[in-house]
Amino acid sequence: MSILREIVTIISVLAIPGLILFFLVYGQFKRVRVYEAVVEGGKEGFTIAVKIIPYLVAMLVGIAIFRASGAMDFLIAGLQPLTELIGFPAEAMPMALMRPLSGSGSLGIMSEILKTYGPDSFIGVLTSTLMGSTETTFYVIAVYFGAVNVRNTRHALPTGLLADFVSFLAALFFVKLLFF
Amino acid sequence: MLNYVWLGLVVIGILTAAGRDLYDSIENVYGNERSFPVHIEEQTGPGEWNAWCTANELQRKFSGIENTEDTTRFVLSFARQSSTAGVLRPESGAPAILLTVQESFGDNGSIPCRITSDSSRTGLVYVSFSPIRFVYLKRVTNAALDAAALAVKIALGLIGIMALWLGVMKVAEEAGIIAIIARAVRPITTRLFSDIPEDHPAIGAMIMNISANMLGLGNAATPFGLKAMEELDKLNKHAGTATNAMVTFLALNTSCVTLVPATAIAVRAATGSSDPAIIIGTTFLTSLVATVFAVVFAKVFQRLSVFRVREKEAS
Repeated sequence: MSILREIVTIISVLAIPGLILFFLVYGQFKRVRVYEAVVEGGKEGFTIAVKIIPYLVAMLVGIAIFRASGAMDFLIAGLQPLTELIGFPAEAMPMALMRPLSGSGSLGIMSEILKTYGPDSFIGVLTSTLMGSTETTFYVIAVYFGAVNVRNTRHALPTGLLADFVSFLAALFFVKLLFF
Repeated sequence: MLNYVWLGLVVIGILTAAGRDLYDSIENVYGNERSFPVHIEEQTGPGEWNAWCTANELQRKFSGIENTEDTTRFVLSFARQSSTAGVLRPESGAPAILLTVQESFGDNGSIPCRITSDSSRTGLVYVSFSPIRFVYLKRVTNAALDAAALAVKIALGLIGIMALWLGVMKVAEEAGIIAIIARAVRPITTRLFSDIPEDHPAIGAMIMNISANMLGLGNAATPFGLKAMEELDKLNKHAGTATNAMVTFLALNTSCVTLVPATAIAVRAATGSSDPAIIIGTTFLTSLVATVFAVVFAKVFQRLSVFRVREKEAS
């Protein structure tokens, strides 16, 4: 297990420099004008980033209003009986609800929980697993669809949120199975 | 769906804030108009003193309850600006309600107050705050403005990373690497993305995005992902509306199988975990299960009539 962990860490460190090196050298080998192609491709970076702005503003403002009003606390309290039913610890609930909404928010909650309950406690491991195994669904939807000006996202949100819900249950199951 | 959820976040947020403010003012949670004693100690400058107040005095001020014995002292600094006006500044360890009061008077950390009675000789000054109202609505306003500014900052921050990776990507595309990757994973992608032509550049970009996500390289993942969305959009017959392939891709992306949960491990290490990387196993299994379900959900939902492409929106 620890060897596997070592390999995974090394791969993640080498990935970016290795990828750049391989792409450029292979490109040159295939007689691509490397520098020209990099500059040409990079031009798009600005337009895409600027295109995202209104989508990201709308999404972050909506979530910020919801968080600042304290509506989150009511939501957590309201869901309490439901989560008790499936054995999801109440202490980890803020994390589960914040994770799809806000990356920085869930990071803050995670640090808070790890400091309070200890990173190696059941709550701590569960929260860390939740943090690691899912993405900030609302942010991803805003950015990815914003880049191509898609306004009607159809089933993207229900799919993402239901998958997040599955993540919570799976995290609870695996953390209990493997450690506690 | 996103439309209503977003509207819900905003409306519920504002109404909750307004409701809580209404409740606070009816219950007089901040004890507006009630004064409380500040105990003055040694002078620290012209018109400035170290001071303190006790927990029961504060409780009397804010809740109107008289009978508590808690005489814990909270350190303050007090400055007099005129015979009737002064400024209080809570020091570290102040109770939450005093911090909320402090916050409601703005960023500089001092609370302006009226001096209602002054018996400096005995070291007691009675002060009251100007009425505190709309704490939550003010918070909502500030949060909304801050979030708008933050969104622009995030987007502009993407420019550099985007330019770098899209450039590298372009080399890979011209050298034919993207096509090679796409061919290698064809057995999987033809099933997942049945409506994308084989060897389409979108497939290469999606694979790059998902691989980067697996390794916890968020910075590199986003440019690949956005490139993939652009390529997918070229196949979109209804501009402005998501295609099935886009949603399936996003489902894969948000629930993505994770080998290295880099951020979570970093926070665990910072909070003194004896084995920060212990979560690699649970994270991998959890994300694997979530990914399978995400794809299934995406495939099932795309058939539902609620989520069908509306022709009148097509352009």
